[in-house]
Amino acid sequence: MNSHKQAIDAAVAAVSTVLLGKSQPIRLALCCLLARGHLLIEDLPGMGKTTLAHALARVLGLSYNRVQFTSDLLPADILGVAVYQREDNSFLFHPGPVFTQVLLADEINRTTPRTQSALLEAMAEGQVSIEGETRPLPTPFFVIATQNPSEQSGTYALPESQLDRFLMRIELGYPDPGAERDLMRRGDLGGQAASLEQVMSVEQLGAIRDQVEAVHTSEALLDYLQRLVARTRAGGDVSVGLSPRGVLALLRAAKTWALMDDRDHVLPEDLQAVLGPVAGHRLVPGERFAGDGMALVAMLQQDVPVLAS
Amino acid sequence: MKSADLIPRNALAWIIAAQLLLLLPHVLRLPLWIVLLYGAAFFWRLQIYRGRSAVPNRWLKLLFIGASMAGIAASYGSVIGLEPTVALLLVAFALKLLESVARKDGYVVIFLGFFICITEFLFSQDLLIVIYSAVVVWVLTTALIALHRSAAIDDTGPMRLAAVMLLQAVPLMLVLFFLFPRIGPLWNVPIKTQAAKTGVSDMLRPGDISSLAQSSDVAFRASFAREVPPVSSLYWRGLVMSRIDEGAWRTVSYFETPPAERRAPPVEKTGESLDYSVIIEPTQQQWLYGLRYAEARQGGILQLPDYRLLNPVVLEQEFRYRVRSWPEAALGRDISPWRRRLETQLPEGSNPRTRALAESLYRDTGNDAEYVQRVLALFRQQPFRYTLQPPLLDNNSMDQFLLETRAGFCEHYAYAFAVLMRAVGVPARVVSGYQGGEINPVNGTVIVHQFDAHAWNEVWLEDRGWVRVDPTAAVSPARIEFGLENAMREEGSFLSSSLLSPLRYRGISWINALRLRYDAVTYQWQSWVVGFDGQQQIDVLRGVFGEINARLFVGVMLASFGSMLGLVAASLFLRNRQGRHRDPALRHIRLLQTRLRRIGFDLRPGESPGAMGRRAAERFPGASDDLRAIARLADAALYRPLGSEQRGKMQRSLRRQVRRLRLHPGR
Repeated sequence: MNSHKQAIDAAVAAVSTVLLGKSQPIRLALCCLLARGHLLIEDLPGMGKTTLAHALARVLGLSYNRVQFTSDLLPADILGVAVYQREDNSFLFHPGPVFTQVLLADEINRTTPRTQSALLEAMAEGQVSIEGETRPLPTPFFVIATQNPSEQSGTYALPESQLDRFLMRIELGYPDPGAERDLMRRGDLGGQAASLEQVMSVEQLGAIRDQVEAVHTSEALLDYLQRLVARTRAGGDVSVGLSPRGVLALLRAAKTWALMDDRDHVLPEDLQAVLGPVAGHRLVPGERFAGDGMALVAMLQQDVPVLAS
Repeated sequence: MKSADLIPRNALAWIIAAQLLLLLPHVLRLPLWIVLLYGAAFFWRLQIYRGRSAVPNRWLKLLFIGASMAGIAASYGSVIGLEPTVALLLVAFALKLLESVARKDGYVVIFLGFFICITEFLFSQDLLIVIYSAVVVWVLTTALIALHRSAAIDDTGPMRLAAVMLLQAVPLMLVLFFLFPRIGPLWNVPIKTQAAKTGVSDMLRPGDISSLAQSSDVAFRASFAREVPPVSSLYWRGLVMSRIDEGAWRTVSYFETPPAERRAPPVEKTGESLDYSVIIEPTQQQWLYGLRYAEARQGGILQLPDYRLLNPVVLEQEFRYRVRSWPEAALGRDISPWRRRLETQLPEGSNPRTRALAESLYRDTGNDAEYVQRVLALFRQQPFRYTLQPPLLDNNSMDQFLLETRAGFCEHYAYAFAVLMRAVGVPARVVSGYQGGEINPVNGTVIVHQFDAHAWNEVWLEDRGWVRVDPTAAVSPARIEFGLENAMREEGSFLSSSLLSPLRYRGISWINALRLRYDAVTYQWQSWVVGFDGQQQIDVLRGVFGEINARLFVGVMLASFGSMLGLVAASLFLRNRQGRHRDPALRHIRLLQTRLRRIGFDLRPGESPGAMGRRAAERFPGASDDLRAIARLADAALYRPLGSEQRGKMQRSLRRQVRRLRLHPGR
């Protein structure tokens, strides 16, 4: 187990060399991947979203594709298309960019709901059905979708039910001054992502993913989780609380987070660490925190008692 | 002054509300200017709050004090006595608000409010007043709580807390009320109010009782141990009047009685006896009412030579007494020469035509008893009228009444009858009191109202003693049989001036039912709360414990106090107990948290025990290692997958660590 932690730390460190000062989002992205979830990054252009996706694929030795979503993109453009072969009078399937291990779906909100849902279905099922034939996607299959929160015209915002398909939603944010100075000195690092070395084998990745469910959650921890959830459903500050699927997602993410820290049990800190990314986009804040899901999460972290009263 | 020291807005609102509520029951007793003063004080205080006016300065305050003293002296003619004193208190209460800006002044106003709340009981101890005062106490307590928090004005938290606190105090109140020894007052302030009390007076002039008959106030309530006798036989003797002075009948005072006559002649108690108790409303007089022949069943009540009951002190509040009567016993079979002379006296030269009439009637009859019947027959046969609005008589002339107007109320008939008797030397006197009453079907008590006031006669007959004769019954049998209301049906004069009395509307059945139900509650209230005296307290204890002595009394009191305190302690203990956790690790962590909090470490609810331990380790470097160890143990005991044996070990070492921990405040 010790090697897992080393491998994970090494992966985070490797990605950090091209994405400076962002070890926490990197860890979260890795956690999301290990927890068999998909990641939504909501941030402005130029914050390093592509670099993160590419670097992550590289250090884990995974295949990587990138699709720029536009308003005229069709489902077939992602999933692939069967082309008629005159020679043997049959159709040959040309797989689309979705058939990869890490897919960067850039600016997912710019395409039509029809194309969005084609991707989201593929994410949920882990397979693609085209013309009556079901084709499995490779494993691991990890989608990193990005969304630009500032440009709203001509976009199709993902509805809440679709946001639920993403295990986490994170923001990268601006780098801190030290990291930015480093960046200025070293120039654009995006290109270097392609040359990163693989630090974790696909087998090891699979092994870690298989251990997640085995992480122990004590009664005291489940009590805390229930208090947190009950608080989101109590009304008042929250108008839509956490769904049972959201609860399971939270638990899975917390278990993965604990595992990444080499623990066989979940601590309240693990829950708190993943609460924002996992619950932030699933909760609809009430009047008090209108539009500020992060403030709501901070309130939950601070006010919901960890210990039974 | 810091704003934290000021009276908060919501507390000010509560204080003003409480002041208004406190003023309300006094309003009718107060001169108008005091009510206006309250309005002005509220307005001014609100202006001060809004910053539009200043607080009155010292000279202005002195001026106010002087002016209100003068005002009270002018309104009441004195500043001494119950009503002016209460008025002074109320004025001070209003003025105090004006200078109450700081929180500490708020306390003074509120405590003064509690005191003023009590003053209302000097005037009335009615159940409704008690309920009202409970509401006032609630509002005052709310104000007191609101003074401690600066909440929004519509915050109902203080109200709820006040209600809970007062309800919690109720059991203690009951124990104190029923069990605290009833020690007589150390001093007695005469609190005679200036308000005239209606009731039978010790002078009787024609017209006195008919004016009383307009009042529907309750005079007293009687409750019989067994069946209630027929209403027509309920002659409640109050006063016996044997002298005529300047046209008015009056009682013979103690000092007018020769020493030998000062004891009531013994009465042979024959026939059935009646046991009953009476709760009399305050009369500001001394005499008590009873059916003949009445003996008090409790000490301290005097019996006068004309067989009536007298309380040694003036009845300033509701008073309960227990009586036993022998209605068939003959009164005063032997008459002393002094009494015979007294009971046959008539003013010289008065009513000559009546005397002539009496003599002519007496000549036709053989003896006194027959003469009585003859006179009653005269009332019955001649066109006498029973009316609440009799024509006025010149100089209370019976000549005019008997021979000209022939219209009168009971006192006219009793007066005339006694004169007719005495004119021929038959001993006769006027008795006043109440006749009849209303039986409350709810609880079987007899309610006697002021309009039941009545006057009748007693005539001394050979071998029979003093015999009751009611000439009114001869004129208007309905009065005795069915009460005044029926007797006055044609005239329509019953309670014509008391529009608001619920009695007036007793034709409406639900109002009547409500009135009787309330009267029954009032009776219980009076007998169990207002009239709850030392004797009753001992009776209650005796009913529970049999014979009692001082030691038992004190024991019971201490035991009930103890059990009250025990209950409180038990509930606190149980509440604490519920907060205890089945998980021992959690309990040890709670203990640690309590210790940390005591030395000024702020706890955060959303912090795991591990994080808290690590944060505390940084705050208290001296105990850093121990705290880190505790943090590890706490995390392990709570969250690690452990077998029960291992878990037990963790919990024990956690407990040991927490106990061993030495913390020193500061860094």
